[in-house]
Amino acid sequence: MSVPDLPALLGHVRELTRQYKRGRPESFAAFRELVQLLLQVTVLGSGVGVRLTRGPRTDRMVMEGAVDDLGVIRMNDGRYLRVSIVLFREPHQGGYRLKVEQASYQYQLDDIGDHWVFRYDYRRDPADQHPATHLQVRGVLFENVPLYHGVLERVHFPAGRVSIEAVIRLLIEQFAMGANTPPEIWRAVLAESERPFEEIAHRPLSGPSA
Amino acid sequence: MELIRTPVLELTRDQIVTRIERGAKQRLQLGVRDFIERYRTGVLEDPAAVADLVALAALLDDSDPLFVRP
Repeated sequence: MSVPDLPALLGHVRELTRQYKRGRPESFAAFRELVQLLLQVTVLGSGVGVRLTRGPRTDRMVMEGAVDDLGVIRMNDGRYLRVSIVLFREPHQGGYRLKVEQASYQYQLDDIGDHWVFRYDYRRDPADQHPATHLQVRGVLFENVPLYHGVLERVHFPAGRVSIEAVIRLLIEQFAMGANTPPEIWRAVLAESERPFEEIAHRPLSGPSA
Repeated sequence: MELIRTPVLELTRDQIVTRIERGAKQRLQLGVRDFIERYRTGVLEDPAAVADLVALAALLDDSDPLFVRP
């Protein structure tokens, strides 16, 4: 891939961000396009990225990985990222905002997801007792402590709201995933996109209040 | 940079239910109604493991028969 023009890329990121923040019907597509851009600049390893999926409800859509009906994208190392984000429009100060009802990112070795490594999950209104934003790691806890006695994957660690930009950084910086552009490109693009997310992201409590 | 275009996937109610049903059966050995009921009452053991299926259920109308207790 040729090295893209950074100012043009950053301008594209700003424009797509402006479009999705307007909360119009076309904001769903702008959000998808932004995530597609982030993935293509960084870890996307095939010609299939993310898509929007719509059902009977007209006020919401799911953005998910577009490999078959598995909700995953294939990355540069041949492994997979399961991406699933439920988006909806909500009235806000006389207009609308595009909001996230739930988001989940799971790094996995196989397309089905039997061999997953970690996952971040966010749900705006969870019905269960797990933290609304949490991290799970599929590994072994060396010390024998209750409740799960070594089975780390059952533990839902409370986490702050984690952006897809943060997950991409984690994959590249901590899991040695190859990137499609040089660091001076992808770091700047992720930062440009992540900043507005951090300004507007809903941050729930770590569990139910009653 | 040329972005990959992917058309919106339009799913009917039956196609959504079929996908949820297949996933819930393979991964949790649950039927679709049991899966939805457990999720909505907060007793599904690890909802994040099937976040993609939960997301699909969010595309169904609130009045969908799956959400009505028998």
